[in-house]
Amino acid sequence: MAATIIADQLTKRYRIGKGLTSLRELFAFNRQSATRTYHWAVRDVSFQLEPGDALGIIGPNGAGKTTILKLLSRVSHPSSGALHVDGRLSALIELGAGFHPDLTGRENIYLNGTILGMRRAEIKSRFDEIVAFAGIGHYLDTPVKRYSSGMYARLGFAIAAHVDPQVLLVDEVLAVGDYAFQMKCYARMAELRRNGTTLIFVSHNMEAVRRVCERGLVMYRGQAIFQGSAAEAVVAYSDAIRDAARQSQDTTAPQEDGLSQRVMTFDAEIERVQLLDAAGDAVSVLRTGAPAHLAVDVRVNRAVAHPIFSLIIRAQDGRVLYDTTTQWRKIVTPTFAAGERCRVEYALQMPLLEGSYELGIDIASADLTHFYDCLERALTFSVVGAKGAEGVVDLGATIAINKLAAPESPSPTYAMAAS
Amino acid sequence: MELASTRELVLTWAARSVRVRYQQSVLGGLWAVLQPAATVVIFNIIFTYFVPVDTGGIPYVLFSYVAMVPWTFFSASITDMTDSLVSNMNLVSKIYFPRTMLPVAALLARMVDFGIAACLIVVLIIIYRWPVNVAGLLFIPAILAVQLALALGLGFMGAALNVFYRDVRHVITLALQLWFYATPIIYPVSTVPERFRPYYFMNPMAGVIEAFRDVILYQRLPGVYLAISGGVALVVLIVGYLFFRRVEFQFADVV
Repeated sequence: MAATIIADQLTKRYRIGKGLTSLRELFAFNRQSATRTYHWAVRDVSFQLEPGDALGIIGPNGAGKTTILKLLSRVSHPSSGALHVDGRLSALIELGAGFHPDLTGRENIYLNGTILGMRRAEIKSRFDEIVAFAGIGHYLDTPVKRYSSGMYARLGFAIAAHVDPQVLLVDEVLAVGDYAFQMKCYARMAELRRNGTTLIFVSHNMEAVRRVCERGLVMYRGQAIFQGSAAEAVVAYSDAIRDAARQSQDTTAPQEDGLSQRVMTFDAEIERVQLLDAAGDAVSVLRTGAPAHLAVDVRVNRAVAHPIFSLIIRAQDGRVLYDTTTQWRKIVTPTFAAGERCRVEYALQMPLLEGSYELGIDIASADLTHFYDCLERALTFSVVGAKGAEGVVDLGATIAINKLAAPESPSPTYAMAAS
Repeated sequence: MELASTRELVLTWAARSVRVRYQQSVLGGLWAVLQPAATVVIFNIIFTYFVPVDTGGIPYVLFSYVAMVPWTFFSASITDMTDSLVSNMNLVSKIYFPRTMLPVAALLARMVDFGIAACLIVVLIIIYRWPVNVAGLLFIPAILAVQLALALGLGFMGAALNVFYRDVRHVITLALQLWFYATPIIYPVSTVPERFRPYYFMNPMAGVIEAFRDVILYQRLPGVYLAISGGVALVVLIVGYLFFRRVEFQFADVV
């Protein structure tokens, strides 16, 4: 199949500083200027997507994700590198950009639709669909300035998703809607992809990326540091920010390159995560049904009060199988002083069927405002042993088959057996 | 983006601008008439009673309103076009669409005002029972085309430069103020000394305004100065458009 998007060594740099472009520079034919310093928002990023592909772009703020979307949508031009995009593109970089607050929902549908490249006739033919998707029926003739932010976002997404794009760019916009609307958006994205739309999805929500995309691209300081499956990309991202946090642990000054927001503070640090068997030895293979012990060794670098410990187990495609935190369990954790260490032990039943699984650990502050530490994939383990069943969980079915008496009653009865 | 959808976008955007401009205002489109009419009333008092100006027998109100309406259109359209990119920053930096759309739509939106204000010209002609030469009126589209080309060229340039230097809008405001007096709006060309005339008509708007008077008030065809204005306007349009296209790729980054 022919590629819809080819990005070859895409690069975008911005000039640092506030200086105005001189008139001479504006008219100059040679735009290179040696005296300037530049910020490389995106540097040498290459990827290729085919119809129906879905690529998730993840990375911390300022890593260049939105810049890539702007380059793809032709809002911004690459400083160097080649970019080829095939067919109509619809971008959700900001929902409802181009809405005018004084105009009604109806007027804004036409306005926004034409800005996104639709013909009026096209908008007319999809009008009802758009209104139904956004769920703004009663407010169609109300100025959008009276809309709630949720309605505003729904209408914005509804219009962009009905452009029938060959390429759809979605930038971290679904966070505004409620859960039901998000589900609707995911369904719409999946539907578009079945019809051959190429999707590029930027999000901070790792579960959303895993759910929507097969492929993942991790951006870090303008560079693509990982490309592969979405599930692997999420792990690579987690490792990258952990490394970055570790390196800048003692620097309190915000950095210039956009990483001023530290994702992890390392006030408490995960030193070691082990699965232990009954004898207390570290193992990486467990048996279905056998008890397992998990030990998490933590070193406290700065005093922390009542940290929240959480454990998450995923299948290899990233689906969450089990997620539990001390907060949900209403366990009050102690307060730790700097330099203290602790071991968090989990006793687990392991009803998983044969397969490979991933285990993640994180420690968050009591108010959940930030992570102290987070290991998206602290370890991988496999489970062996259960025969005669497929799937994920051993539900321990017992099976009983009994012949019934001659069929006098017309409706057969089924017995459900539970152990 | 295909041409047809770009055309629809320009029209939709222009319609939006007109609608937004007069929404929640009591007088609405009447403002398009009131603005030039009020100015004309003031100038009528000054140049009829204080410093009488010889208009060659044409009632001063009719004389100046015929010029004031196209000038108001010209001046307002250039101001709006210059602001069109900067005032829609969030659109320019978030969504791709042909960038020329914004200045063109700003011009079209002002054209609606022009149409409304022009209705009063017809009313004045009827009130003053002023004779009209139909052959001359056929030139109005041509005169208007010259004005539109000139405005569009300057608007492209102004809009693009304004993205980089906000001084531009102040320069434009000042230039339009001075330009007003360099154009025969409140006085007739006959008051300009003969020896200045060749230079005087290097101002393309002088040719445009005088041509409007020719065909509406003087019952004659436009003079050769309209051709000069047309030539200048064409050059300005080409230069303005090329400049705009040359720098537009930077808009989203600079704006």
